[in-house]
Amino acid sequence: MQALQSTLIQLVQGLKFTIGIFFFTLIFSIPLGLLVSKGRMSKIRIVSVIFQLYISILRGTPLMLQLLLVYFGPYYIFGVNLGSIQIGPFNYRFIATIIAFTLNYAAYFAEIFRGGIQSMSKGQYEAATVLGFSRMQTYFKIILPQVVKRVLPSVSNEIITLVKDTSLAQVLSVTEMFTKASAAASAQVSVIPFIVAGAFYYAMNLIVETILNRVEKSMSYYS
Amino acid sequence: MPDTEKDIVLEITDVHKSFGDLEVLKGISAKVGRGEVVAVIGPSGGGKSTLLRCATTLERVDSGRIVIGGDVLCENGSYCDKKLEKEIRSKFGLVFQNFNLFPHFSVKRNITEALIHVHKKSREEADDICKHLLEKMDLVEKADAYPCNLSGGQQQRVSIARALATNPEIIFFDEPTSALDPELTKGVLTVIKELAKEKMTMVIVTHEMSFARDVADRIVFMDGGVIVEEGSAYDLVTNPRQERTKAFLAGY
Repeated sequence: MQALQSTLIQLVQGLKFTIGIFFFTLIFSIPLGLLVSKGRMSKIRIVSVIFQLYISILRGTPLMLQLLLVYFGPYYIFGVNLGSIQIGPFNYRFIATIIAFTLNYAAYFAEIFRGGIQSMSKGQYEAATVLGFSRMQTYFKIILPQVVKRVLPSVSNEIITLVKDTSLAQVLSVTEMFTKASAAASAQVSVIPFIVAGAFYYAMNLIVETILNRVEKSMSYYS
Repeated sequence: MPDTEKDIVLEITDVHKSFGDLEVLKGISAKVGRGEVVAVIGPSGGGKSTLLRCATTLERVDSGRIVIGGDVLCENGSYCDKKLEKEIRSKFGLVFQNFNLFPHFSVKRNITEALIHVHKKSREEADDICKHLLEKMDLVEKADAYPCNLSGGQQQRVSIARALATNPEIIFFDEPTSALDPELTKGVLTVIKELAKEKMTMVIVTHEMSFARDVADRIVFMDGGVIVEEGSAYDLVTNPRQERTKAFLAGY
């Protein structure tokens, strides 16, 4: 009983990092993904190729490897020691984690957004143009709201995956929930901490799912 | 017929347009006077839609001159600055074949959005204009509906209202009934006839020959990227002079 209690306390301590990684990644990777999708769709060939390469590499290599590269790369490749960097309450381990997750998820989001944007009919742009809307107005008033509706199911998939992927931060010894669960499991020689951690991840995703379903429903007034 | 330059709303002079090696418009010249209704007919691929798209800034011409409402959109194929182009866009309305309403906006917002955010009218003013137009289109009760809940005919009438909202000098219709069932075309054609009675200047690309004959003042027959024949609506339909026009009309 006491073991379970201490497990819970440790996991909840880790939870704040898990949630931190989750939210910071979403906040940064969605706008970055939008920019990357724009770059990928650029009419300037070289720009398009660069972003294509970016997407290809970030999607084609393990996130765990990207985490390690972002964290150790600056020192081993450039001899720059960033280990002592601290922004507010966040140390470089955490910052490196957010950077790697953001770069990785932006690549996935970019392709989802590209699919959504390219599925818009030319007629929507043309109608907006002849009505006198500027390019910015057309994008933010006409195109983006419709794209959001179209990409939401795919974006939901990514968001749910992200909740689980936060556990990869373990490789950088970020004390998120999975790291805590592993430590507790070996200390107690028990799988209970893993089962409890699993329950936490599932509970988080239930919440995420509920919210996303609501958002989807709120946009179902048109087709 | 208009006799002074001031009464010419649309003037197109020797317009050429190619897509790659394919020359779609081979020197088109036409004038539309204020209050005139001009129908453009002809076989598919004859350049009708391209001409309409060039006149509405959706395509760039290669050479020639286009003047709308006294403002020069392009001269020898080179275009005016963006500011003037935007101004010119507020002088015409365009009704698309497949409506192109904004699906995420209510009927009302489809009509008022440009009024408020492009023409800087107050919301009250925009709502008034919208209400008036919906009355005209017999769609008052649909103000808060979304396009997906309307029939094709109703959607097309909303898009006509949207085009009229900014009080343009001329309205272009690109095959406004081609995407509609025959029974739904009637309401749309009735609305266009009403507009003709009010002396709205209109250019209508259409396949509805009897409608063109009844509602248009003039008909322009296009084929192969040129204007083959043009004349008063009744004469052209009942008594075409060119062989190509005769062959085309025989199909109806």
